[in-house]
Amino acid sequence: MSETRQYGELGTQLIMESRRSTQTDTLLKYNDSLVRSIIREQRDLEKAAVALVLASADAPSPPPALMIIQTAIARNKRCLLAYHNHRISFLCTLYWSLGASLPPLLSAESTSIRAKLSPHEVDYLRSYHGSVMTFRAEFSQELDITASIVQPPKDLHVLVHVVRDCGVIQTESGSIDFRKGHRSMVRRSDIEHLIVQGYLEEV
Amino acid sequence: MSGVAQWEAEFNQSNSNAASGPSIPRRAGQSALFDQEDDEPMPDVNVQLQLQEPEEPLPDETPLEQLTRHWMNERHAPDILPAQDVLLSSLLDHIRRQSDTIQLLRGDPSTSEEEHIRIMLAQTEVERVKFIVRSYVRTRLFKIENYARYIIQNEQVQTRITTAERDYASRHAHLIDRHFYASVLQSLPESQAGLDDIPHFIMPPMVTEPDTTRAVFAHARRKTVARTLEGKTIDLDKGSLTLLSFAAVADLVANGDVELV
Repeated sequence: MSETRQYGELGTQLIMESRRSTQTDTLLKYNDSLVRSIIREQRDLEKAAVALVLASADAPSPPPALMIIQTAIARNKRCLLAYHNHRISFLCTLYWSLGASLPPLLSAESTSIRAKLSPHEVDYLRSYHGSVMTFRAEFSQELDITASIVQPPKDLHVLVHVVRDCGVIQTESGSIDFRKGHRSMVRRSDIEHLIVQGYLEEV
Repeated sequence: MSGVAQWEAEFNQSNSNAASGPSIPRRAGQSALFDQEDDEPMPDVNVQLQLQEPEEPLPDETPLEQLTRHWMNERHAPDILPAQDVLLSSLLDHIRRQSDTIQLLRGDPSTSEEEHIRIMLAQTEVERVKFIVRSYVRTRLFKIENYARYIIQNEQVQTRITTAERDYASRHAHLIDRHFYASVLQSLPESQAGLDDIPHFIMPPMVTEPDTTRAVFAHARRKTVARTLEGKTIDLDKGSLTLLSFAAVADLVANGDVELV
């Protein structure tokens, strides 16, 4: 690593990634190496600060250099936290838009998302899901609070086209076997989650 | 035929009831029998609901209109508004009763074609009420997630949310803390591993707080006076629409004098 780097330059890079992710509305791969480099920089800065304090123990006031180092430490830390916070809020938004279910996010086959997550983020999503499910149970008798809130329902029934096989689904009026290519008229509330997850399409 | 006229009358009636939540009209000719046998005739729940609510000097509202107002307020306010648990649970009960009634009538082979149409209308209405409830609950949940740390440190806010929401807030704050610790803080030197830094210079505080100075459109439901943070008072005439900072009308929103639009 070059020694001419300025304090906080890596932190700026990290924030730029979050920014790019927001602008393109995509989740970039977790940048483990950059996070590690910043953590290393933090340790170096800490050592430098301690050394400065020791060296200037007799001085009447702390040296100005200490202030700069402390600011850099605080800034880097905020950059790190901001980066992680941005990622988990992105994930949570995605989680809700997929009808509050984990499998589409974490299954190995839907390649894209899971490969971009750090192991801690996978853990986080699992516990988050648990927490949401506990809250949902409060309302389970009357309604499912995780269902879509994008469009108010206008009709009870909806004509759907099956895009992917999704097996036999229990509905209010019996069970239906959804096979790819079929069309059926079904109750919206029975299959809404399948539309959200991309198994069915509204015609 | 008189049947058609009657149907239309009942349809209109159920339409006018629709605002206060769906209701299935009693079956003509059978209701008397039901009453006699005390066989739980579908009660007119709307009336019951309104009786439960204390009378307001403000314009009369059905429970659903109240919920719609609170829903809009919640969606426009930067801060979390007081929970409406009594209203919400009475509406949830109503939804459940209506759904049960619908199930019962649908399964009854003597239900006529005309009644099936009415059942469908009632069902659609139930779905639409559910949508509002869902959106209302989720809006609050979203704010609670954003301000989880602020909420668990602030007892005044905790009085405004339900027990379930409070539990959710503390679970969520804990989750976030754990994630930060596992991903970042545990690798930092000990002196930097806290989450309660005092912000330097122009850095924002560590705990995100709702921005109560955000501007909102306040629609006065009756004549009232808003007081800004600087101590100025602003008269709001009934029906007037004013752009104010949220802090100036927070109390008025809570007591129903003002609604956000």
